[in-house]
Amino acid sequence: MTGKVIEEARPRPGVATRPMAARSRYRLVERLIPILMITPSIIAIAVFVYGFIGWTTVVSVSRWQGIVPDLSFAGFRNYAALLTSYRFQSDIRNTIVFTVFFLIGSLSIGLLLAVLLDSKVRGESFFRTVYLFPMALSFVVTGTVWQWLFTPGAPGQPTGLNLLFEQIGLPVFQTWSTVSHVWPGGGWKPEWLRVPFGVPLAMIPVIIAAIWQMSGFTMAMYLAGLRAIPDELREAARVDGASEWQVFRWITFPLLQPVTLSAVIVLGHISLKIFDLIMTQTGGGPGFATDVPGIFMYETTFKSNKYAEGAAVAIVMLLMVSVLIVPYLIWRLRTETER
Amino acid sequence: MAQVIYDHVTKRFDGVIAVNDLTLEVKDGEFLVLVGPSGCGKTTALRCLAGLEEVTSGDIIIGDRVVTHIPPKDRDIAMVFQNYALYPHMTVYENMAFGLKLRKMPKQEIDRRVKEVAEMLGIQDLLNRKPRQLSGGQRQRVALGRAIVREPQVFLMDEPLSNLDAKLRVQTRGELIKLQRRLGVTTIYVTHDQVEAMTMGHRIAVMNQGVLQQLDTPENLYDHPANLFVATFIGSPAMNIFPARVVAGDGTVRLVAGDVTLEAPAEQRGRLAEYANREVLVGIRPEDLIVQPGQVSEDRQLRLPVEIVEPLGSETLVHLRGPAGALIAKADPHLHFSPGELASVRVKIEHMHAFDPQTELALF
Repeated sequence: MTGKVIEEARPRPGVATRPMAARSRYRLVERLIPILMITPSIIAIAVFVYGFIGWTTVVSVSRWQGIVPDLSFAGFRNYAALLTSYRFQSDIRNTIVFTVFFLIGSLSIGLLLAVLLDSKVRGESFFRTVYLFPMALSFVVTGTVWQWLFTPGAPGQPTGLNLLFEQIGLPVFQTWSTVSHVWPGGGWKPEWLRVPFGVPLAMIPVIIAAIWQMSGFTMAMYLAGLRAIPDELREAARVDGASEWQVFRWITFPLLQPVTLSAVIVLGHISLKIFDLIMTQTGGGPGFATDVPGIFMYETTFKSNKYAEGAAVAIVMLLMVSVLIVPYLIWRLRTETER
Repeated sequence: MAQVIYDHVTKRFDGVIAVNDLTLEVKDGEFLVLVGPSGCGKTTALRCLAGLEEVTSGDIIIGDRVVTHIPPKDRDIAMVFQNYALYPHMTVYENMAFGLKLRKMPKQEIDRRVKEVAEMLGIQDLLNRKPRQLSGGQRQRVALGRAIVREPQVFLMDEPLSNLDAKLRVQTRGELIKLQRRLGVTTIYVTHDQVEAMTMGHRIAVMNQGVLQQLDTPENLYDHPANLFVATFIGSPAMNIFPARVVAGDGTVRLVAGDVTLEAPAEQRGRLAEYANREVLVGIRPEDLIVQPGQVSEDRQLRLPVEIVEPLGSETLVHLRGPAGALIAKADPHLHFSPGELASVRVKIEHMHAFDPQTELALF
């Protein structure tokens, strides 16, 4: 405060003629430039993200079916139709099954690979690249390749992985990708639920393909997390009397918690919106055994031209992802302000 | 509580010898300081004892047990790390209880011990905090508490005070000494700070380039350094060293360096006679050079020009132009010296040291 007073009391020559005006103009410009810099992206995001979310919401409660738009209000009829439809109920079940197994698989394999690589293995960078490589592929490529691998082949003449399974005496797996059976299925279920509880067997090859693609990425995240833990902490635990397993259980693993959380968010939002992998690998079949909301939305909207219903699926997907992301964002914001 | 023995311990890292044939015996209840410049192998020696490094050859004995190939968790030691290594996801209480919990100690016993030690260290109000909510000094105490609560046979400390600010370091140093004397646990303390070494240790082991130079009490280390390295490493400012020629004759032995001639102490004449007409390295501690400004008294042997004056308050360091480079003398802070003037210097001959220039071992 005092510094400012002194500065103003003793204007420098040259600036002295119009100090106040020049300074306030300079301040205005200084404040305006950052705003101008971010304005284009704000406008773009406002229109192309939030605007379109709003538009989709409007469409989802309309009667728009067919080529000609019909935006008359239909209430929540589209949502009600969705929730009671056999296909959408399958989709939700499949998404849950896919997400749970994909997350567990990617996280545990990723963590295992990272721990192995962190134990000062020779040629570590080579293995790291090998494990990370599947992530460089498109899900479309992955889907196609794994479709070939799991193709059952003609009866009695298995191909791909099924040939392998037969040769090691496990021919039972050959039917995985061709039956719409849900395991365990049956049992009690609420009246409104039209699909059986359980894991659709055809989902397993899809889950394997997704884990194959993303566990390397999870490994990279965990490896970075492991490297960030000072060696001293593990040494202190060893001196404190911990076995290697106890060091991992009580020190390393808890300290990896933030990495696990980030990985869950990244993998979770991929799995909730999964489309390309399943579209190319199974197309959602057999039946709706591997169908997911992404495929349902695409087919409803662009194949059947039921725009309103498709928009409703999109909004439900948005809500599912929000349930995952919003708490994470709040947590991040809170820890950031803490720092 | 136990004795610790290093028996010809060598540790090699990819061809670099970090610890070279270290043989050392630490008595039960002793506070031994391992001191040396960075890279001298003191920390490696400590880590070998902890079991964090596998020794290349030799044996390590704790108590009456050879622990050379026993993992750290079974060695019954506790270690305080330089950066404290507190578990960031655990509270102070959990940090201290961790080692006890791993030993499956009953909950009440853990609770009793943690609280007792916390009280001893004055951290009983911090037990529910996380390490990141603590100051450096508090963290240091928690790290200490985590070691004490285990009641191990040996404490290992790796520069535990080096991250504290100067004032806190002096204070903690005193507390640590008291604590060790009270608990009576064998302690091995690594530091590069010779003041810590001199003030804390019952005995000090000076290491350089992986080799143990001298193992002795602080007084002996200072008054009777075994070699040139120890002589110059211990003491601040360092001992003045200059080469001098041994000239024997007329029943006396003189040391001649340039135009400076010193008479050798009577009791060392025999030892120096072996070096007649050869060079030795003479060592004189700064406080053994008694300086006065001007050319005053008669019993001063030398007159040397003053180069730099460093008043430290409690004493003044006077840099004199000696026979070979500067000689530093500690002077009374009330005396006034000016650069460029002559000062008269008396050497306390009885406290002089001499070293063989080849072996660098002390002659006396």
